Amino acid sequence: MPLNRSMRLLLPWLLFALLLALPLTDPSSNTVRLLFTTAVWIISSIAWNLLGGLTGQVSFGFAVFYGLGAYTTALMINSGRNPFFAFLGGMGIAVLASFLVGLPTFRLRGPYFAIATIGVGEATRVIMNNLDITGGASGYRIIERTPFRQLEHYYTAVIVVAIALAVSALVVHSKFGLALRAIKQDQEAAADLGVDPYISKLWVHAIAAGLTGIAGGIYARYHAFIYPGDVFAFPTSISILLMPVIGGIGTVWGPVLGGVIFGMVEETLTVKFPNTHLLLYGLLLILIILFEPDGLVGLLRRLSALIKARRSREDSGSNGTDEVLRRRSRVEGR
Amino acid sequence: MTASDYLDLFIKALLLAGIYAAMAVGMTVIYGVMKIVNLAHAGFLMLGAYFAYELYERFHIDPVLGAVLALPAFFLFGIGVHAVLIRWLPKSDTPTLASLLLMFGFWLVLQNLGYLIWGNEESSILMPRTFASLHIGEITIPKVSLIVFGAAVISLIVLQIIFNRSWFGRAMRSLIQNPYAAQIVGVDDRRTSRLSFGLGTAFAGFAGALLSMLYSFNPDFGRPFLLRSFVIIVLGGLESVSGVALGAVVLALLETFSVQVLPASYQPAISFALLVLVLLVMPKGIAGLLQRKRRVA
Repeated sequence: MPLNRSMRLLLPWLLFALLLALPLTDPSSNTVRLLFTTAVWIISSIAWNLLGGLTGQVSFGFAVFYGLGAYTTALMINSGRNPFFAFLGGMGIAVLASFLVGLPTFRLRGPYFAIATIGVGEATRVIMNNLDITGGASGYRIIERTPFRQLEHYYTAVIVVAIALAVSALVVHSKFGLALRAIKQDQEAAADLGVDPYISKLWVHAIAAGLTGIAGGIYARYHAFIYPGDVFAFPTSISILLMPVIGGIGTVWGPVLGGVIFGMVEETLTVKFPNTHLLLYGLLLILIILFEPDGLVGLLRRLSALIKARRSREDSGSNGTDEVLRRRSRVEGR
Repeated sequence: MTASDYLDLFIKALLLAGIYAAMAVGMTVIYGVMKIVNLAHAGFLMLGAYFAYELYERFHIDPVLGAVLALPAFFLFGIGVHAVLIRWLPKSDTPTLASLLLMFGFWLVLQNLGYLIWGNEESSILMPRTFASLHIGEITIPKVSLIVFGAAVISLIVLQIIFNRSWFGRAMRSLIQNPYAAQIVGVDDRRTSRLSFGLGTAFAGFAGALLSMLYSFNPDFGRPFLLRSFVIIVLGGLESVSGVALGAVVLALLETFSVQVLPASYQPAISFALLVLVLLVMPKGIAGLLQRKRRVA
């Protein structure tokens, strides 16, 4: 590991404190907006990773939960509820939707599930485009009585990122997480060992959907205007999928790294190349699948192993190469 | 609605089924032989449409001929894609997530190259015959649909002949049924995979070119058809052209007649609803169905 244990425990807290203290430096509203957007992406990236990375169920339909979270929050705020209560409402609806989606689709394995989720996304967008109470395709506006305070939005997003990370870490290190990883490796074997793949998938799907729903809600409250072509769009689902894959699926920090890179690059690229920014991600995806299935985190691990090996070769000799071989075989064995 | 209205809709559905079958069959071949769910199929369909469009705009080549020309062009393209991307994937009996994501990445690349080249506005091929139609009694049939249907059906018959009569077709079928036994009796797995990917891509390009005569298109053209192709595969199974045709007929009938009950804007949701329905009726999905088949065989 590149960092020793105490550093690994300390680093998230340092990062968190840094992000909370950031407004003290009086940043421009553009910087805050960029960080806010990145934080929202990171939440959904962490959420997707629980289902896609940890459990190995690739979903192309997370915009459903993102959008439902956004719309529920919008409707609740407009009916006079507290925004934070509205986020919870968004989460609740997203969780309910996750069961509705999961009950039929989890009867399918791997890639079949993945394609079915494309259908879920399309169907939901079509329905939302035609739903009258939310203004259909022309969108829905949120009217808040309180004045707009950007930093409040920023803090909400950062705190939810921390919550999402904590949830993710809890799941990864729990017995439940172990079961999920077993399902990813071999569903039959996992079932033989007493794991119910269907139920486990449903639960992790619900957790991921809930987090994504909150992310959608936070996004909706900030932008104050949402429409199905944005929050329910297929590119939104793609974005949520790309971040953890680029960062490194199945790891705790991969999705965060992916989210940071995606958020930062997205903001600049979308403005300059509104239609073609996904080209870059497509190429990146191909390269990652062919050369480094563990994403950027895997790449970093490999680099640090190389450096370590070189260092220990200088010290003692053959030990280091063994280490590299062992690590490499582990990475490729996946 | 009168009886002739129903007949009218029925004929429209059948005509639609022809192109749906041609569209799904490319994905089926690739899936069957290589166990790769080809998400880039949507990109191939889109490229096929623009292939016909460019040929028509630049050289005034009739789109029907364009579709025929798309077959060899996309066959070579598929072979190239196989050499650059697919060859490096680890072999597997079941579809892997790596192959799924790889093809998805390739679709993104194709789609966005499309945006770079053709922009995001809708294009369409408009010819004198686009709006011409045939009148038989009270029934009117658009000529283009008829032509597209004919081309699709001929291509499917040719494919069926290739499947049944040629060495390559038998090799493909043997790989679909049992890859290990196929290799034991001397089927060259690599070569057959390469050619099947070429064949699947060729059919996708062909179907895309045919679709370009019926609909307007943009670089995101293939997406709704991707789901439809998949539904057809789920419905019709993987191992025969006739199964695909059957699935296509069911989907086309449902889509066409649903307009009577549902607003047309809901139509894209039909294929998904159908998918869910099929899944509920066959709880184990395709895998279960295949296992059942294997046990019977």
